[in-house]
Amino acid sequence: MEPDVSVETSAMIRIAIIPIGKIPHQTLRDYYSMFLHHHTIPLSSISSFYTEEQKSPFTNQPWETGSLRFKFILGGEPPSPWEDFQSNRKILAVIGVCHCPLSPDLDSVIEEFDGVCKGYASARVTRCFGFFPCDSQLEDGGKKGENLRLFPPADRQTQEMHLQTMLQEIAASLLMEFEKYVFQAESAGTILKTPLDSQASLSSEEVIKAKKRRLGRAQKTIGDYCLLAGSPVDANAHYSTALELARLTADYFWYAGALEGSVCALLIDQLGLKDPSLEDEVRYRYSSVILHYKKSFIPENAQRVSPLSFELEANLKLARYLCRRELAKEVVDLLTSAADGAKSLIDATDRLILYVEIARLFGTLGYQRKAAFFSRQVAQLYLQQDNKLAAISALQVLSMTTKAYRVQSRASISNNSHTNEVGSSHADSGKMHHQSVVSLFESQWSTLQMVVLREILLSAVRAGDPLAAWSAAARLLRSYYPQITPAGQNGLARALANSSEMLPSGIRCSDPALPFVRLYSFPLHPSQMDIIKCNPAREDWWAGSAPSGPFIYTPFSKGEPNDSSKQDLIWIVGEPVHILVELANPCGFNLRVDSIYLSVHSGNFDPFPISLDLPPNSSKVITLSGIPTSVGPVTIPGCTVHCFGVITEHLFRDVDNLLHGAAQGLVLSDPFRCCGSPKLKNVSVPNISVVPPLPLLVSHVVGGDGAIVLYEGEIREIHISLANAGTVPVDQAHISLSGKNQDSVLSISYETLKSMLPLKPGAEVILPVTLKAWKLGLVDLDNASGSMGRQLKDSSSPSLLIHYAGPLTDCEDPPKESAVAPGRRLVVPLNMCVLQGLSFVKARLLSMEIPAHVGENLPKPVYLENSASKEAIGSETKMDGLVKIDPFRGSWGLRFLELELSNPTDLVFEISVSVQLDSTEDKLSNGQDATEYGYPKTRIDRDFSARVLIPLEHFKLPILDGSFFMKDFKPDGAVGSRNSSFSEKSAKAELKASINNLISRIKVRWQSGRTSSGELNIKDAIQAALKTSAMDVLLPDPLTFGFRLVRDNLSQESGDSRPKGSVSAHDMTPMEIVVRNNTKEMIRMSLNITCRDVAGENCVEGTKATVLWSGVLNGIAIDAPPLQESKHSFSLYFLVPGEYSLVAAALIEDATDLLRARAKTNSPDEPIFCRGPPFHVRVIGTA
Amino acid sequence: MATTACFIIVSRNDIPIYETDAGSATKREDASQMHQFILHAALDIVQDLAWTTSAMYLKAIDRFNDMVVSVYVTAGHTRFMLLHDSRNDDGIKSFFQEVHELYIKILLNPLYLPGSRITSSHFDTKVRALARKYL
Repeated sequence: MEPDVSVETSAMIRIAIIPIGKIPHQTLRDYYSMFLHHHTIPLSSISSFYTEEQKSPFTNQPWETGSLRFKFILGGEPPSPWEDFQSNRKILAVIGVCHCPLSPDLDSVIEEFDGVCKGYASARVTRCFGFFPCDSQLEDGGKKGENLRLFPPADRQTQEMHLQTMLQEIAASLLMEFEKYVFQAESAGTILKTPLDSQASLSSEEVIKAKKRRLGRAQKTIGDYCLLAGSPVDANAHYSTALELARLTADYFWYAGALEGSVCALLIDQLGLKDPSLEDEVRYRYSSVILHYKKSFIPENAQRVSPLSFELEANLKLARYLCRRELAKEVVDLLTSAADGAKSLIDATDRLILYVEIARLFGTLGYQRKAAFFSRQVAQLYLQQDNKLAAISALQVLSMTTKAYRVQSRASISNNSHTNEVGSSHADSGKMHHQSVVSLFESQWSTLQMVVLREILLSAVRAGDPLAAWSAAARLLRSYYPQITPAGQNGLARALANSSEMLPSGIRCSDPALPFVRLYSFPLHPSQMDIIKCNPAREDWWAGSAPSGPFIYTPFSKGEPNDSSKQDLIWIVGEPVHILVELANPCGFNLRVDSIYLSVHSGNFDPFPISLDLPPNSSKVITLSGIPTSVGPVTIPGCTVHCFGVITEHLFRDVDNLLHGAAQGLVLSDPFRCCGSPKLKNVSVPNISVVPPLPLLVSHVVGGDGAIVLYEGEIREIHISLANAGTVPVDQAHISLSGKNQDSVLSISYETLKSMLPLKPGAEVILPVTLKAWKLGLVDLDNASGSMGRQLKDSSSPSLLIHYAGPLTDCEDPPKESAVAPGRRLVVPLNMCVLQGLSFVKARLLSMEIPAHVGENLPKPVYLENSASKEAIGSETKMDGLVKIDPFRGSWGLRFLELELSNPTDLVFEISVSVQLDSTEDKLSNGQDATEYGYPKTRIDRDFSARVLIPLEHFKLPILDGSFFMKDFKPDGAVGSRNSSFSEKSAKAELKASINNLISRIKVRWQSGRTSSGELNIKDAIQAALKTSAMDVLLPDPLTFGFRLVRDNLSQESGDSRPKGSVSAHDMTPMEIVVRNNTKEMIRMSLNITCRDVAGENCVEGTKATVLWSGVLNGIAIDAPPLQESKHSFSLYFLVPGEYSLVAAALIEDATDLLRARAKTNSPDEPIFCRGPPFHVRVIGTA
Repeated sequence: MATTACFIIVSRNDIPIYETDAGSATKREDASQMHQFILHAALDIVQDLAWTTSAMYLKAIDRFNDMVVSVYVTAGHTRFMLLHDSRNDDGIKSFFQEVHELYIKILLNPLYLPGSRITSSHFDTKVRALARKYL
């Protein structure tokens, strides 16, 4: 069988091109390509070389339109046993090609050429072409034999012209030779034999038949020569005769041959015409051809020789002729039947050629999978030959099938993509799309694909192509590891290693092997290096750049395209960046990755390679880092991996596709899942841009970056050191707070930072910050009792946000917003760990009364200045200052807030209480300067409780008013008046304000050890304590009683030597009782006065009365006008010196509801009894 | 029962979603690979042939050596391909029709993603039973 047969093959003149002398491969190919341009020589162009010696046998030669067809065969071929049967199989001309610079001796060239020509007995024209001869050779060549043609050195175009002329000359010579042959054949009648004609068949059985047969064969051969001479009409005439004779003699083989020739003549005659009738004719005749070849099959010599190859060739010729998509079915049938013949072919080479041709035709038809199938058959035949050249051929053939089996090397894909682009513009776009979807899931016909790759690997190893072997093994391992046994995987790993040993180091391969690499995450900048966009138009340039809340979408971000899938990332020149990638080795061997680094095509990134070992069936997340080197966008398509001795690029996209397919169950296995790595959502590669250097502040807390451990309420000053670690000075900086518990930061020294700006690179500033620990809530308390770590993680600590930026470079052109260098944000978390401190148990209000002395003007009447009472004790100690006259009660009173505190910590606390007497706003004690009173410290040991007394200043409202009992009156509806509501409200507010005022002035500080100190928050405690007894504390009694000595002024002044308020025994002491009505209504009462001695005995009445009196003491009826006071005078005569106390009591008659409410009576009939405080009287004298 | 029979279901995306060896011949690895190669190559012919007829059963459309490929194309362009060496046309047709019913049942499964691999063991058992019955 012959390759590349077609119907027209019969009309082609075979010319062997033989290299003579030394010719480099490339040069020879170059010369050969020049020949290829001249495969068709028009008859019209050769007439100048043609001389008609006698009448041409080709009577109908179309000199105007016809042409001679050449088929150049580089290197020639051995003579075929079938050349009598098909004259076109003969080598009719030999052209020697000589590269003169390498073959200086032209004689030896001619000698060698003549030797070569002897091998081609059928050659009718021989020429030797010498290219690029030197001058001496040119001169020399002129004299040498006529067969030598020298091509003077010239450019290619000239040489091709020259060559064309030479070939025209050859064509003319051939034509004349053909004429000679035809004459000879017609006259002499040569004996034409084929291997089919056995000795037996040409026996003397039927001599006449044999003669006719010989005649027919001669006619057929003449027809062949007519075809070669380019005269189809003549050929047709001879073929007709031959057909007739062959049919008569039942020479089916030659009949078929003649018929084939006639088809060729028909086609040549009607060149370019493609009408259906012609096609039908060709189809009809060829089916006859095939039939007759079949008929000529002689079983007895089938072992030796068979016309099968001609039948198959005829099949292929027809198939090639019909090879169009519309006729696909027909062609497929022809090719299928041709393929069926393959197993009957004796010669393996024939089978090879047959499969090659079938594959080619299927390829032409667009049946890629069929073509691939037969190509693989070809490759298998090559591989059976077991030599290197066959293996190379097998490798080449197999690599052509990779596209159909979707196991392409990536290199070929990238090459094909260009051609595809051109083709796809016409192609059905839907189909393209469909294919691209399928290509995502390549590993589908996995059995086939593995077989093909294994064969590629085998042939590459045999062919000695280590790169192809490496690539095939890599593809096999990467795509089909789940279907390969661990032993097979090890074998592949060894194949990879072996191949790489033969490869130069540092070679790249486009097909990645292992490991699988996927993007794990793009870590954003740590909060210490956060980059924010500058808004130069605003004073607070950092505002609006950072997301202001936990929401991905904020209604405040103006209508920017919300493209959240592609986030933007900013990298800075010179600052290292990190990317996390995950590697997986799903195979059963230890994988050594010599180096892996990010592959960046934009050229402005310096990746740092790392190397690692991946144990079998494992995955690992690693950090790959690098430094951006210049401004511009950066794209990171994947990683460059140096593994198994070859550098490959692993694209993230491929693995993403793979994982996507695995998720849908379309791909064999997920390499990461089978290594035990958890499922990861798709990470998209953000748009990365690199910006010029920015300043970089680095912070640490002076004295350690650990958590700041504080007890509740503790106040401490810490120092935060900020250093500029960048290469650009910090020009602007601003500090703000964020996070929870912001009020725990009492002060930040902004000025310290401001004064240091601009902060040069390397400079440092120390920033004092005052902190106060917050109060732990209930939840916090639980946490505090739990682990410390949890407390730390709890994001209840505030943080400092420091926005800073380098110098503003392009302030002048605001339109280019992108030109503004971004600022940065430093987040300094204040890791406060608040421990539970003193805990508050309960608060109580304590009060005590110290009776007042009865004196001339003590107590001062309430309508006098309130401050008078304090003047009296001004000279006393501070402690005494707390004891104050209750102006309403008229007695000394002392009130404390008792706080019970427990100390659950393991430290000792010291509590100090101070009251700030800032009473300018206090209506009851106005005119006072702000003073503070300190008291001795209270010490609370660990696990102990202690009570702390906090003195409360006396204060009461001046009037007992209905407003405080509003809610009590409401149900009655009688007294409550709506028009008074305003004043009532204001009175309530006044009450509240006064409570708050009181509380705010009390400060409870604690100290523990030397450093810790803080303040207790007792506001709530006091409020709770006051709530229950606020009324008693704040509201005045309805009546105020006071006793007074009545003396003339003179005697009082002269009696300086005596103690104040003292009374002599045995002396009539005139006194008066002052009753003040604190309500707005008239009160009628019945007043009683009693005097008791130290033992509490009533000493006015009874049998042993020690005090005599004049005036009325009991049942004194007094009407006290509203807010006025009434007096009642009486005199006492003390018989015994000593201490007495005077007590006034009043029974209020016709008590109003207001008074009842104040007295908290239950029934309206109950008498309202009002009792004043006791007043001391010291009676001096002798008994 | 045929000595060699390889049955494969190819989705409309040319991806095999089910394959079974229904032959009674002793299995040789390279032979079963060869079967796949033949079936894969036959897809080219099916692709053209499916549009030329309204019948679902395309009969024997391709052959290589003594092995014949019979194809049945569903309305959704899923192809049932049978590689066999026996010539039992009626049996093959019945086989295809019954497999089609089974396949429709698979498709009705709401959890089955059309075009993905058929992993139902029930389906596999039934197909094998059908192969024993008809081929």
